This record gives sequence, structure tokens and C-alpha cells, in this order.
Amino acid sequence: MGEAIVITSGKGGVGKTTTTANLGTGLSQLGYKVAVVDADIGLRNLDVVMGLENRIVYDLVDVVEGVCRLKQALIKDKRYEGLFLLPAAQTKDKNSVTPEQMRKLTNDLKEMFDYVLLDCPAGIEQGFKNAIAGAEKAIVVTTPEISAVRDADRIIGLLEASELRDPLLIVNRIRIDMVRKGDMMNIEDMIDILAIDLLGVVPDDEAIVISTNKGEPVVTENNSLAGQAYRNIAKRITGENVPFINMEVTENIVTKLRKIFGLAK
Amino acid sequence: MTEDNAIEIKGTKKGLLIYIKPDYDFITIREHLINKLEKTQFFFKGAKIFDIKGDMLSNEEKEELENIMTTRYKMHIIKNETMSNNDVETQDMFQGINEGNTRFLKGTIRSGQKIDFCGNVVILGDVNPGAQIIAAGNIIVMGSLRGIAHAGSDGNIDACVAAMYLDPTQLRIADVIARAPDGDYEKPKNPELARIKENMVYIEPYLNKK
Repeated sequence: MGEAIVITSGKGGVGKTTTTANLGTGLSQLGYKVAVVDADIGLRNLDVVMGLENRIVYDLVDVVEGVCRLKQALIKDKRYEGLFLLPAAQTKDKNSVTPEQMRKLTNDLKEMFDYVLLDCPAGIEQGFKNAIAGAEKAIVVTTPEISAVRDADRIIGLLEASELRDPLLIVNRIRIDMVRKGDMMNIEDMIDILAIDLLGVVPDDEAIVISTNKGEPVVTENNSLAGQAYRNIAKRITGENVPFINMEVTENIVTKLRKIFGLAK
Repeated sequence: MTEDNAIEIKGTKKGLLIYIKPDYDFITIREHLINKLEKTQFFFKGAKIFDIKGDMLSNEEKEELENIMTTRYKMHIIKNETMSNNDVETQDMFQGINEGNTRFLKGTIRSGQKIDFCGNVVILGDVNPGAQIIAAGNIIVMGSLRGIAHAGSDGNIDACVAAMYLDPTQLRIADVIARAPDGDYEKPKNPELARIKENMVYIEPYLNKK
């Protein structure tokens, strides 16, 4: 029996979909069987980010409505053996499925996979409720902006109200140079407000933009810092202890970043 | 024209087909259906309905109509019972790919929009990625086709898809599915036509080379 993890944020555009694609790929690189589920019905993107859009025949709503079997809708990744995508429908909306149906679907997936990652839509309405229905763990993604942190705080409250306790935090798109100058919120401040455990920090990286547009998750790129960050997070999800390194070291940016993400000693 | 036009009931071998025409709101459609059935109650009692066709309706709205017909007028819905009889299918297949029912659409068909028509479809505009065009006959796009096109959706392998710029995410003709190659590939320079040859989708320019 696998584990279902919802990736959520409240605010849009902080990198939920990118995180889902990268963690899904990262976990499958480690040899696990992984299903990534796009719960953003009507505004699907995960298929595009993973470069699998042209393979979609059936989608999540078709499975829920019984138009096809679950296995027929699962799309095998083009690179990794154990990675599968369940795409969302684009021509329907969030009300096409209910939390009960999602719970059943997630349970079915958990029997087939080690990890089921659910890409939650932005917002706190039906789509959010559907996405979290079947999950037993949650990852909250935020960026170092007051608005994103505020929304993350709201989401953590809603998750707790739905019995999804102890969500983990991923801080995305951080720029160490700006943090050092005091122009960007630092990680301690965010953890102070949100009061949840930190799962990982992903730096702002051009490679993300390039890889997203190519439909190839950055986690597969060995020389990208963001890719390394995602690989570390994937390992932490599996229970491996990958250390964080103290941020307050003054050296040049590259070595500093490398220290943070555990590349240098 | 009379008000009855929102609803059209047709008999087929599988059962009754209820066509809902676009450009009516749901309240009017429901009213028309009730009116129509009220007038002919005894005729339709116990009748088998194969499907309700209407792109404008959401699933809930269709369900509501089905409920009205099953509970109030004692009709049966049989669309979920799958038919495996191939003979019935070929006979019911849309035959008008050379001359027949055609729907013209003007403007861009965007992501999330789905056109499903039992006939030929002509788009005077673009079809963007994430949009779906499903036609029982041919599909002609007088612009760029970047979304999903499914021609001959009820099984006609002679149907074709043509576009000024044919670069679909996925192309289906009858039950043959082709998809765009992964990574970079050569984009079309001329208008092209896709059709089935030896159970594969073939794409070729349809204008004579200059």
C-alpha cells in the first residue's frame, strides 16, 4: 500500500505543478513506482510540464465516470519506467468529481504505486477539497513573498481542519543574494510564521523555465541547482536524512548555494 | 418556425436519439422537452432512449433531463448498456463525408473547448492546444490546428483532417490515434491533409507542388 501526498499552496503560480512533476520524477529515479495525478480539472498543466500532453486519450473524469478503466487512463512517462501520469480533463470543471470519488480513486492508485502525488489546483474551493480528499500527507509550497506565505498559512489551517496534520513546507524560488541583502523574506521568518517542518528549499533557477517549456523536469539535470534541490527533497520524502546546511555563511553565492543544498562540505 | 425547435427526437435502431439544439438556455430546453412529451405522452411511454445529444448541456443538465423522462414519462435510458453489435454500428455511421451535414464555426477554438458534431466540421479560425474537435465526418481547419482532432468519430476510416497549418497534439481518425513526435520536429510549411492508409495516419500536402 502506497502513500498519497497532496501538493498544495493556496496561491497560484508558486510552483505546485513544477514541484509535483519534479518530485514524481525524482522519486521514480530512486526506483519507486510513482503516480502523479493532475487534480486541476479544467486548467490542466501537469501533462504539459511533463511533456506527455500528446499521449492523453482518457482522463481522470473518464475514470471517475466509468468511461474507461484506471489503467487505460494512466500515461507511462517517456523516460522513467515506474512513473505514470493521470491527467485531468480539460473540457470539464472542478465540480465533475466529488471528494468521495477522489478518495476511491486515490485508494485504487495507492494499491498500484509506492507514491501517489496529487497536484492540487490553486484556491480553496471544490478543486482543493477534491485533491486533498484521498491524501494522508500534504506538502505546502510557498515562495518568499508575503502573499504566498499568507495563503500557505490559510491552507495549513484548512488542511488541519481536514485531519491532514503536520504538512511539510517547500520554499520555492528563493534568491539567496536577495535574502542576504534583506530584500527577501528568509526561511527562518517563514517557518516562524507557518510553524511547520521544512522539507526543502528550491532556488530560483533559469533551468526551471527552460526545462518546463521543454516538458522535461529539471530534476533530471545533474548540473542544475534546482534539480539537486528536488533530488534532495525526493530523498527526504523516502525517509532518507539529507542535511540542510546553514544559510548564514558568507562566501560567494555559488559556494553558498552549494552548501545549502549539500553539494559541498 | 415553431418554438418546438430546441428538441428533436429521432428514431434509430438503437433507440430514440434526442437532439438538443444549441443557442437555447437550459430552462427553455427543459420546457420544450416537457411540452413535447406532454403532448405525446402515450406515444413515448416505455420508449427506449439511446442518447441525448447536445454539446451545450453539462452532465448535470443531461441527467436532469434524463430524470424527467424516466420518472415522469416512464421512458428508458439505454445508452449505458454497451452495444457490441458491429453491424449496427457500421449502418449508423455517418455517411456524409463527401456530401452531408456540416457545421461551420467562426473564430478561435480555445483550450478546454470541445466541439462534438455528428457530421463534417469546418473551423474558420484556429484550434489551440487543449481544444478538441470531434466530428463524425471530416474536419477542415482554415487556420492552425494545434489541438486534438478526431475525424470519423463513429468509425468512418475514410474521413480526413485538413488544415492550413496541421500541427495537432493528437490526431485521431476513426479508431486510429497518432500523436505529435516528442521533442523538436519539423513544422509544416504548407497546408496538409491527414487520412488513413494501411491503418496508419498519413499526412501529406494536398496542393500540387509549385
